[in-house]
Amino acid sequence: MNSLVLSSKLVNSLFKVTPRTLIAVRNHWNKDFKPRPYPHTEEERAKAAARYGIPLAEYKPYADNGSGLGDYPELPLESVENKDPFYPYDIPALKRNFNEPIHVDYETYREDRVNISPNLPKPISILVLQFLSVMAVSLGLFYFFEDMKMFHPVTPPQKPSDGRVYYTFEKCE
Amino acid sequence: MGIIMSSGVKRYFYPEVTPDPAEQPSFDPLLGFPNGRPERVSKVTDAELKSALIPLEHRDFCADLAIDYKRCRRDTFPFVVKCSHEKHAYLNCKYEDFVIRAKEYERERRLKVKAEEAKRRSG
Repeated sequence: MNSLVLSSKLVNSLFKVTPRTLIAVRNHWNKDFKPRPYPHTEEERAKAAARYGIPLAEYKPYADNGSGLGDYPELPLESVENKDPFYPYDIPALKRNFNEPIHVDYETYREDRVNISPNLPKPISILVLQFLSVMAVSLGLFYFFEDMKMFHPVTPPQKPSDGRVYYTFEKCE
Repeated sequence: MGIIMSSGVKRYFYPEVTPDPAEQPSFDPLLGFPNGRPERVSKVTDAELKSALIPLEHRDFCADLAIDYKRCRRDTFPFVVKCSHEKHAYLNCKYEDFVIRAKEYERERRLKVKAEEAKRRSG
């Protein structure tokens, strides 16, 4: 009972002080997640760049075409799978540093999703050549041995309904 | 295994002395048997096979044992292990049938070799 009273008091105090906190925790969202309106003046651009931690020279918002992205920066698209696995990230599981801005379509290019810029082990021409040579050798062997198929060295099955007379190899007295 | 693996190569390089496995022997079956050979006779009729629902590929000279085995299984189910004798007899018959086919093939092959030798000697 005591703990119940205590927790109700805590909730009550939270509501009194910052009802916003409770809403953010309960709905997994708060107003800071939302981008600000599209920056038109140079001052607004500088503010937005500082907010996303990007140098002003590199800051470039998405086009103001009604997509609702506001001042969110257009970042270079790189799949998480393609990031350096040995770099000491703050969040190694996501290969991400604290406060590092992420691409607007980040969820599509996570490590368990699409990799749009794969690091090939060899140049693509070598890989194509390897594939073609393996297929050529396999098909060549197949066609080379096409009329050399192995078989059991026996005559076809003998059926009484064939209309032929079959014999055993026993002796006849 | 070796005879199976080399069969295709032999058929390719020596087709005149390697019989086609898809064809029945071409020589007279009584050639070289002065006293004749016992004929293989089926112990069951087509009607019996049809009635017992024996699959077409098993309607050979072991079909009577196949029927025995099937009947035993039906009678003793689910204690089908009691049919081990019938199964053994049936599979042995299948094996003997295969041996006869292998012997026929080998006979055909040797007769072909002999014919080739005779042709070479005369020609």
